[in-house]
Amino acid sequence: MTTQTKATVYYEDVNIGDALPALTKEPVTHLQLVKYAGASGDFNPLHTDPAVGEAIGTGGIIAHGMLIMGFVGQMLSDYVGPTALRKFGVRFKGMTHIGDVITCTGTITEKYEADGEPRIAGKLQAADQNGDVKVIGTFVAALPKRGA
Amino acid sequence: MFDQSKIGYSFAPFTIEVQRNKIHELTSAIGDSNPVYHSREEAQAAGLPDVPISPTTPTIFNFWSTRQRGNELASLGIKVTHILHGEEEFDYLAPIYPNDVLTGTSTVINGKVRRGSDGSTMDIITTETRYINQHNQAVLNTRSTIVIRE
Repeated sequence: MTTQTKATVYYEDVNIGDALPALTKEPVTHLQLVKYAGASGDFNPLHTDPAVGEAIGTGGIIAHGMLIMGFVGQMLSDYVGPTALRKFGVRFKGMTHIGDVITCTGTITEKYEADGEPRIAGKLQAADQNGDVKVIGTFVAALPKRGA
Repeated sequence: MFDQSKIGYSFAPFTIEVQRNKIHELTSAIGDSNPVYHSREEAQAAGLPDVPISPTTPTIFNFWSTRQRGNELASLGIKVTHILHGEEEFDYLAPIYPNDVLTGTSTVINGKVRRGSDGSTMDIITTETRYINQHNQAVLNTRSTIVIRE
């Protein structure tokens, strides 16, 4: 298998303005939200019970915001490796419904050294099939240098 | 309505043991099939000591450790059923692996009331949780901003 903990990119090879490889997820399903509730411990019924979703006027159940942050996290982890993230933050902008297809994208905005390691910073977004933005965010990650 | 005097309020510390299977469960729900999140053997084959935490694993620590938090929020005058998640931020300070025992302390670091033109109000409250591990090392800070519609 490929060694997925190794970053796929080196510090020298990335430039400010570069796009991260985008990640498009499978459509969000009700079963996925039930699994996510159990895994995360967020049992708010507006994510799992259609009757509650209808009653509060959100047009049915809505996905956990943290699931969408998880999609963005998957994109980051695929790109920099599972132990390279130093900071990851998002702002939730819109609700995600069953069947929505979420695409995560990102751009590198900074390169610098801090705490003795080369780092990149970037901005992030997750949007649905209509381009409606669900999440915007930022990240900081450490990258290896060639020959280091 | 949020009581400004509660800024700086800290909840009672809580302790959680990091579990390999919870990382597997969370990444499975997300649909992240990177084998290092699902098997210790795969993680070790990739040069790690054990399964690493995935980027949003800290949400497990926050939710599963704070089953009483709803009551605590209510004690601050918050309508728990009207909560929306506004922002979430993680600072990863040091590696975290299964069997680590983390102690988290949550503090209300910001809170304000926003008034709409229609006279409605909205509370915006930010809580920070600082985690140390069993070696007393700071490993993780999380900040969560919730919005409560009155």
